[in-house]
Amino acid sequence: MKKIKFLILGLLVSFILIQFIKPDKFETYTAINENSEYNKLLTSVPDSIELIIKNSCYDCHSNQTNLQWFDKIIPINFVVDSHIKEGRKALNFSNFDSLNSKQVSAKLFYSLNKALSGEMPLPSYTLAHSKSKITNKELQQIKSYLLSISERKLTDSIQIVKNSIEYYQLLDKKIKQQVKPTLNGIEYIPDYQEWKAVSTTDRFDNRSMRVIYANDVAVKAIETGKINPWPNGTVFAKAAWAQQIDNNEIIRLGNFIQVEYMIKDTEKYASTDSWGWARWRGDELKPYGSDALFVNECITCHKPVEKYDYVFTAPLNLNVLNSSK
Amino acid sequence: MKNILNENVLIISFGLLFLLLGCNQSSENNFNESASIGKTDSLLVNPLLEKVITVTINPKRNTMSTLYGNDIAWNYISSHSDSNYPKGSKLYEVTWFQQSDNVWFGANIPEKILKVECVIYTGLETSSYELYKGYPLKRVVNIDKKYQERIKEIASQRFAVVP
Repeated sequence: MKKIKFLILGLLVSFILIQFIKPDKFETYTAINENSEYNKLLTSVPDSIELIIKNSCYDCHSNQTNLQWFDKIIPINFVVDSHIKEGRKALNFSNFDSLNSKQVSAKLFYSLNKALSGEMPLPSYTLAHSKSKITNKELQQIKSYLLSISERKLTDSIQIVKNSIEYYQLLDKKIKQQVKPTLNGIEYIPDYQEWKAVSTTDRFDNRSMRVIYANDVAVKAIETGKINPWPNGTVFAKAAWAQQIDNNEIIRLGNFIQVEYMIKDTEKYASTDSWGWARWRGDELKPYGSDALFVNECITCHKPVEKYDYVFTAPLNLNVLNSSK
Repeated sequence: MKNILNENVLIISFGLLFLLLGCNQSSENNFNESASIGKTDSLLVNPLLEKVITVTINPKRNTMSTLYGNDIAWNYISSHSDSNYPKGSKLYEVTWFQQSDNVWFGANIPEKILKVECVIYTGLETSSYELYKGYPLKRVVNIDKKYQERIKEIASQRFAVVP
């Protein structure tokens, strides 16, 4: 009996002592009182919207972390620490004032989509922090706000002239330029416009239009109804242009923004969800990113559509009527 | 005898388990069927199999259109700024109603087809116009007399240039 008492006491003392082990810089997280005023981070966003974001996101995605008592207990503190570090690295609302309005809007749409897919806030986080769950009413509030800031506006005449100049320059370009491979080593694939298109997208969130082209392997997969998973050799090219809104309020293609590729190869790209990810931007077709880690951005964004083999596009079924009657 | 029976039960059980797991692993296809050309549509060719010339959106009508062309039309417009399509060119303007993209709030994608317009160049400066509407798509016999203006509108669209 005495032995058991000693054992319990020993365990208790050990438990108290190990509480002094903390992750590096754990104390530096700004501990804010839940009931106290917080510093407004999103100056262009209404308070009511920021409050929802603050309650559900700021603990890991801002410098205003509100640690609960149980967050500080070992070993939970190490999990919390890694969540905060990763969270801030991926998206930090404390840095929003350095972004322009387009970037703020893009990040808010991105964040909302993460919430709509159920990926964020992390279910493990809301399990312990039930107040951080975003309700359907709150999601609706954010949607309404984002719709209000993404209203379509007429393109100014200077931009229309610029688009026209670009059109003539690109149409006259006889010699194809040398395009550098992406930083993850993917070579540019020209002539994708000769492929069949599997869909188009009106991205009113960032005022762009996209055509999604698919190579013969992908089209064959569509014809045979085997697109989940897509077969090896599938290549999608997604070209994006800015929306140009004329006086008659018809939206046409404006300046070229970028082209992105998804290349399916289960062996070669095993470490990146079986897809090779590539993006070239602007008329110079500059490879995207500062290093090969840019693919993490692609993978994170496509995670919610894992069930569709990471492909957002719901392709048109090209099989139903494929030849002359 | 008993052992063989047990063995068989075991094999069948594993077999069933394998089948069940196999069923769980098969994933649904994510086709946008409503926006595709259907079997009952009365079109002679599937315009969706042609090459894309450009796309437009009409936000007031909540529609989006893609202009497709056959090889003759596509080869011409991808290197010319005028709309003097050569003989043999075929243009297909497919217009869809839009629907919200259920995997990305902030995007609209094609829903069902509102109409398909075909412009066929039978000779130099000679072209015919066909309109298909309804569910299923059927050729409209009595088309608007102003269809020549519509041909001009369709043909005047610029190619979706890329670097």
